[in-house]
Amino acid sequence: MATTEERVRALVDANLDIEGRTAGQPLTMDLSIVDAGVSSTDVVAFWKVVCEEFGIDISAEDFAELLTPGDLIAHLDAAG
Amino acid sequence: MLCRAALRSLLCTHLGYDNARLSFGAADGGKPFALVDGRPVEVGFNVSHSGRHGLIAVAPAGRVGVDLEERVPRHDLDRLIEAVFGPDERTDLAAVAGDDRIRLFFRLWTLKEAVAKALGTGFSVDVSRFEIPQAIRSGESRGVLRIPQISEARWQLTAIDDRRFAAAVAREIGETIR
Repeated sequence: MATTEERVRALVDANLDIEGRTAGQPLTMDLSIVDAGVSSTDVVAFWKVVCEEFGIDISAEDFAELLTPGDLIAHLDAAG
Repeated sequence: MLCRAALRSLLCTHLGYDNARLSFGAADGGKPFALVDGRPVEVGFNVSHSGRHGLIAVAPAGRVGVDLEERVPRHDLDRLIEAVFGPDERTDLAAVAGDDRIRLFFRLWTLKEAVAKALGTGFSVDVSRFEIPQAIRSGESRGVLRIPQISEARWQLTAIDDRRFAAAVAREIGETIR
């Protein structure tokens, strides 16, 4: 079974354009996707995709604190 | 980088100080503010990028937010509409199709994003909790927004559209300004 990191990386590969990163590369765990050049529309779309993929509800306020892969993965692991 | 240099130039011109005396601090939510000789100064500013394009707003006083988005079709438009818009906004978006829907979507999106940036909260405020005034949704370029559940401030909203981009400015206004 895929780890949370692998599942998040697959979602990033499919949904986000991270500056300086190509699909399949490891995620930079402490780099905010906002600082990585992701547009606000893509951030919100990614928020909804993550909620659907993991079958959980994350509020907008909470997701705003989870904009690095490291924080998001830790939150998802704790919620799972 | 160019946007940052342009912002410095604009602020120096507006404030009347040399570049070397200007620096920046960051509030709790991460929103930057200007300092001259290490002391905060009364000026609002905000920057937005979309690809290689940028937009800068400078206000003599009060908070200001700006957003710029290239108006590109999205396959996930319905998901985004559900996530960020209120009931009346969704009704308006459901009443139009094609390019008109894309245009209205980005008009409302940039206005909400500009308000969130002016508040200094960015994504940490649920923008579905307030709706853009009906006059702007119907095509007016300016309007006033109050969102008492989030802030006591009043906001002058301005939508700026061109053929390719949607942009918006949200500026905090005082009770005496009409």
